Amino acid sequence: MFGYVEPDKPELRMREFDVFRGYYCSLCQTIGRRYGQVPRISLNFDLTFLYLLLDSLDPLPVMGKKDRCLVHPTRKRWIAFSNIFAEYAADMNIVLTYYNLMDKWNDEKSILGGAGAVVLRHAFKKARKLHPEKCASIEGHLKNLAQLEKNGCDSMDEAAEPFAAIMRELFECGHIKDESERKTLGWMGYNLGRWIYILDAYDDMEEDAKQKSYNPLLSQYEFDGADIKSFKEKTREPVNFSLTYTMSEIEKAYLLIGIEKNKGILDNILYSGLIVKTDKVLRGRGKENGKESI
Amino acid sequence: MAKNPYKVLGIKEGASYDEIKRAYRELAKKYHPDRYTNNPLADLAEEKMREINEAYDSLMKNTGGAYQYQQEYQQSYDSSNASRGAGNQQQQSSYQYQNDNETELERQARTYINSGNLNEAQKILDRMRNKNATWYYLQGLIFLRRGWYDRGYTNIQRAANMDPANFEYRNALNNLNQQSTGYRQNYYYRNTYHNSPDMCNLCTNLWCADTLCECMGGDLISCC
Repeated sequence: MFGYVEPDKPELRMREFDVFRGYYCSLCQTIGRRYGQVPRISLNFDLTFLYLLLDSLDPLPVMGKKDRCLVHPTRKRWIAFSNIFAEYAADMNIVLTYYNLMDKWNDEKSILGGAGAVVLRHAFKKARKLHPEKCASIEGHLKNLAQLEKNGCDSMDEAAEPFAAIMRELFECGHIKDESERKTLGWMGYNLGRWIYILDAYDDMEEDAKQKSYNPLLSQYEFDGADIKSFKEKTREPVNFSLTYTMSEIEKAYLLIGIEKNKGILDNILYSGLIVKTDKVLRGRGKENGKESI
Repeated sequence: MAKNPYKVLGIKEGASYDEIKRAYRELAKKYHPDRYTNNPLADLAEEKMREINEAYDSLMKNTGGAYQYQQEYQQSYDSSNASRGAGNQQQQSSYQYQNDNETELERQARTYINSGNLNEAQKILDRMRNKNATWYYLQGLIFLRRGWYDRGYTNIQRAANMDPANFEYRNALNNLNQQSTGYRQNYYYRNTYHNSPDMCNLCTNLWCADTLCECMGGDLISCC
């Protein structure tokens, strides 16, 4: 379910690309420092975005150094210095990945999911100790989600609610002191989570139809088991509206936060990265429609 | 303490009259209250707009220019404020017409929605037996505020279909469509590489040019 929030690379400037990667590497290293080397593989783009966004609220210019790392030992790269936001994003990265793996294990008895959860268990316990309220609230939302899935919920809005609420929880970061700023971030997170969930559902439609597993879009538009291709065609328009409107809400929240730092990268992600991803999934543009993360 | 008006408008100090006007126009478009109707952040957008208006006001007074343009925006700003509850003459009359048909419950539900108390509003709607166009419209508004845009859209669409003559429902539906196409337009405007000319385009253009030349008796590419 993760890894949809990415920049539109061809439109990034070289410098911006370096900075984005600097944040990505910084988050990866922070996970390594806090939780050991193995959990670093859980790193994903959505949490990198969260780190980038939160750090951009801090008006101090971004600082970093050129360094090698374990994963890319050949060349020195610019890596942003870790800070409280990197640590927060790292913790949330562990928490979300762990829940996701557990979900895979419980649902599909996926060996990979189960093994991953076992590996991350120790790291997860540590992260939960640091953020007990966040984890309790996320667990509550996940319970709702499981219930909705069990009942075969036939509305994309309703089915997207728990995951959207989880993302709202993550974006309402405790390090941000300004009340209205936190609320705006929360609304941004809610809509981003909603966008990820519905996009993921559309992406998985074929697979879910084949395996007869739950998918909110198959339920809402009453898939009759006939041709999945034409079914996807038929549902594209309303799904497109929902996704685009959701993105426009993300953009409105972003405008209200009024960020100047890293504006080029954030603008790129929110004005074109999201759309490129959406179109890729909706229209299946290009063969490389693979998912970047676990 | 008032903020630096130049900073609010995002321009250099000592910017020219035209620059100020352009910056103001851009920002007023971005934060226009019409874009933030049915949005939980509407109050923040309103505050931001007020800030922008004040900044523009003070700058225009200093440069001594006429600020007719801003007044235009101010007017449309006030009128859309009115559609959310505060008074304005012209909007009031259209409300009057509706209020005649609206029951007390519907009025209450509207008040709750406007103040953002969605649970109370939903409770009232659940109590209403008669599901007329207004009911669907109000239900749609609640869904939109919650972030449930799929249901919000279908409910408002239904209201507009049930009562095609109603200006408010049609307006809301148009606004929804406009928001999402507007966001996409922004993207096409920004990004050129997706629709920049490629080799196929080049060949077609050459072929077209050649055909046109031949029509007129000339020839651009002699081999075909």
